[in-house]
Amino acid sequence: MDPVRKVDFDSEACGSQTPKSKPCPRPKPGEAAGGCSFDGAQITLLPIMDAAHLVHGPIACAGNSWESRGTLSSGPSLSQYGFATDLNDSDIIFGGEKKLKESIDYIAGRFAPPAIFVYSTCVTALIGEDMDAVCKEAGDRLGIPVIPVNSPGFVGSKNLGNRLAGDALLQYVIGTGEPEPETPLGVNLIGEYNIAGEMWDIEKLMNSAGISVTSRITGDARYQEITWAHRARVNMVVCSRALLGLAREMESRYGIPFFEGSFYGAKETTYSLRQMAYLMNDREMERRVDRLTEREESRLAQDLRPYRKILKGKKAVLYTGGVKSWSVISALKELGVQVVGVGTNKSTEDDVRRIADRVGDDTEYIPEGGASRILKTVRERKADIMIAGGRNMYVAMKEQIPFIDINQERHKAYAGYEGLLRLAKELTYSLANPIWKLAASSAPWDKEVPYDR
Amino acid sequence: MSKDRLSIPDYNTLFSEHRFVEQRLNKQQFEAPCSEQETAEALAYSQSAEYMEKNFNRKAVVINPHKACQPLGSIMAALGFEKTLPFVHGSQGCNSYFRSHLSRHFKEPTPAVSSSMTEDAAVFGGMSNLIDGLENSIALYKPEMVAVCTTCMAEVIGDDLSSFIGNARNKGVISEDFPVAYCNTPSFVGSHITGYDAMMKGILSYLYERSGLEAAPGSGEETGEKLNVMLGFEPYTGNFAEIRKILEAFDTKYTLLGDHSGNYDSPATGEYEYYYGGTRLADVPLAANALGTLSLQKYTLKKTQDYISGTWKQQVTALSTPLGITGTDRLLEAVSGLTGLPIPASLLEERGRVVDALTDSHPYLHGKRVALVGDPDLLIGLIGFCLEVGIEPVHIVCSNGDVDFNEVKFKEEAGALLASSPYGSEAALYIGNDLWHMRSLLLTDPVDLAIGSSHLKFAAKDANVPLIRVGFPIFDRHHMHRYPILGYQGALNLLSQIVNTVLDELDRNNSGFNYDLVR
Repeated sequence: MDPVRKVDFDSEACGSQTPKSKPCPRPKPGEAAGGCSFDGAQITLLPIMDAAHLVHGPIACAGNSWESRGTLSSGPSLSQYGFATDLNDSDIIFGGEKKLKESIDYIAGRFAPPAIFVYSTCVTALIGEDMDAVCKEAGDRLGIPVIPVNSPGFVGSKNLGNRLAGDALLQYVIGTGEPEPETPLGVNLIGEYNIAGEMWDIEKLMNSAGISVTSRITGDARYQEITWAHRARVNMVVCSRALLGLAREMESRYGIPFFEGSFYGAKETTYSLRQMAYLMNDREMERRVDRLTEREESRLAQDLRPYRKILKGKKAVLYTGGVKSWSVISALKELGVQVVGVGTNKSTEDDVRRIADRVGDDTEYIPEGGASRILKTVRERKADIMIAGGRNMYVAMKEQIPFIDINQERHKAYAGYEGLLRLAKELTYSLANPIWKLAASSAPWDKEVPYDR
Repeated sequence: MSKDRLSIPDYNTLFSEHRFVEQRLNKQQFEAPCSEQETAEALAYSQSAEYMEKNFNRKAVVINPHKACQPLGSIMAALGFEKTLPFVHGSQGCNSYFRSHLSRHFKEPTPAVSSSMTEDAAVFGGMSNLIDGLENSIALYKPEMVAVCTTCMAEVIGDDLSSFIGNARNKGVISEDFPVAYCNTPSFVGSHITGYDAMMKGILSYLYERSGLEAAPGSGEETGEKLNVMLGFEPYTGNFAEIRKILEAFDTKYTLLGDHSGNYDSPATGEYEYYYGGTRLADVPLAANALGTLSLQKYTLKKTQDYISGTWKQQVTALSTPLGITGTDRLLEAVSGLTGLPIPASLLEERGRVVDALTDSHPYLHGKRVALVGDPDLLIGLIGFCLEVGIEPVHIVCSNGDVDFNEVKFKEEAGALLASSPYGSEAALYIGNDLWHMRSLLLTDPVDLAIGSSHLKFAAKDANVPLIRVGFPIFDRHHMHRYPILGYQGALNLLSQIVNTVLDELDRNNSGFNYDLVR
């Protein structure tokens, strides 16, 4: 497995300019790879906090996943409940549609949610449950939207699941409601899941520039606000290029212009805010954005100074998926951290191009997982820190590599100007912790040469 | 870094600020929310006895489950053996959940791979995925054994593991002598403990049968095979260390069958390996010659116990997790009974010390009402421990109550145990229920303490009951699994956890009249 400069992607694969129905690159058997389409669909929709999310399948899919993502809510918590039909063997033989119907009825009756999302799983797809019909019947009868999400795990990767969730939103949610007449209309944030509260930092910034958020798709969202997403003036695709198809479709259906942006790093944040104002075609707003971003950037430069001193020249290996693979590079570069290795496992062709724009030639691309592959890069490139997700965290600890968590379980928000400051702080803390010195030195009675990275 | 230039308040602080409270109220006009009064009424209703009845009549939907699925348990079983790579035959998402789940509990990496089945496998079967997967994973992770289990998907389409693995051998993907153990673990029956049992039995029978040995129980004594010990689906690595300590005090030879503590408590040396520790593969066939087998999770290990007593013709003594003094006494008696060795003085002394500790703390525990959630064997142990110190179990929820699982026996045993003490008179057992049922119980009939996994924290918070984290999974506290809960030392650990929670609560809720320095 030699490092490659460019991964051979199918040009029609997930996340390319015109997503077709063709799934994202297939996982390879025999590896410790990431999640499935069910997981991807669920994580896209779970941040709709006031809706109920019912998993139609055996206990596993819900039992192993409920309430395990750090997507925060400012109010309702129904989304945190683990609802499952818990199919057993006789349901598999005789069908689980009756159980599904009863489950939907129970949830509607007891929890009165504005909507219920029903997820198919490998099992219900294989035994041929007619989930669409059950959902439609229940929705008509109960008078609330009951939305089937047809994304069983085996159809493909997590990214594909994101896309299928986007399809469900397009088909059943967006365009079904209207905002109050006096509601100020602005930007939809697509693919921002409010992990560790990042959405709130972004929204605060946007509000300071006088830009309002029309619909959050889906970080800390309420079901209602997504129904009127078609009234927004601009769509911003924040993360997960898998939802790009959603933005494209909204452009062709509703004429909403969209752009792709990120909030990792000051430069990207400024660009995103300016792009919003530009696409809104509002000169006054553009001036406000300019004033805000100038002020924030200069304040940030001031605040970052002590951290930059420590971080300058430090080397990092970044192993994460999708948009973060390139957008976090910008943030790190602004802090003076050099990215010497970057994972491209879940990146699209465009992502890889963007990575290439941002890193030097001597950066190693890590096309696929496996702890040893990442560790090899860390060792060979003498990286100071590893930035990845939870499943790789404990491997880093074993190797005594300073680590920060960038994926869905992180507890720190890194978006926007304040987020960059937090990232700087976390990097510094992780690098400077005295434990690394202790871990790297052998016991005093041991004559061996201290472990040197 | 002591001079921190960055002071960003966390969201709990931030959202209690006036401007955020106001903003939230303003936002509500877009949310079509209920009025505060309606919300309060709904909340009050959800705490009522009337709602509890409706909740318990719920048949279709499970709300906040307290169990995981079979393959998760089977991965844990596989990691109990030396250089064994757990292999999940099915779609890849499952495996990713299992790895996260186990890693979050143990704070350690979990090596496990999947055959990444997709749509075409759903149509044509997963044989080529399994064969490719075996080839790739053996090349990548260099195991000495692969332990294959299935997911729902492979089960529903009816993949035949035995013949697929055979075909892999025929194709030369794996050599004849490379061990591949396997078991069927559909997630739509049973739970993580059923899966543990299936893989445990799968590995023992596979390694034994291919060795060509004939079981000769007791003949191994001279070669050192005196006693087999199985801990089962064991979320505490500390329990392995404790059981070793006990067996070594007896000075008996033993084989721990399924020891995943090495994999889940490995040192940070600067170099990560995929495999640490585990039962040696060569020890498994020899274990058939041991004097007897001690099983410390009798409900979890049902099939494995039957296999050992049936095929290996060994005496099997099965206990539930030996918690507390009585539980540990029973453990020592069992070891003594199987090996014929006397109970060591050092353990008797330890027993005395822990009994002393229990007497020190008893005034704070007597009459405390608790709610318990857990797997059957853990619950039997916990109930026993509670009754010993005068804690009254009130609500007992056990999710793992499938028909397969021999519910009646567990119910009978737990019932008899509770009936044996006046402190058990208020207890009610709920089998096959979930944590939303538990919430109703906690709200309608309040208790002083809740004992269970991290998942119970939501219900406990709603009911404002302190939660003592015991069992699996514990995601939100660090290092609990490193401290044993079984044996006398474990009893002491459980005791300190419980009594100090009681004391913390006393201090925290104190208005100042009884804020004593000495307790």
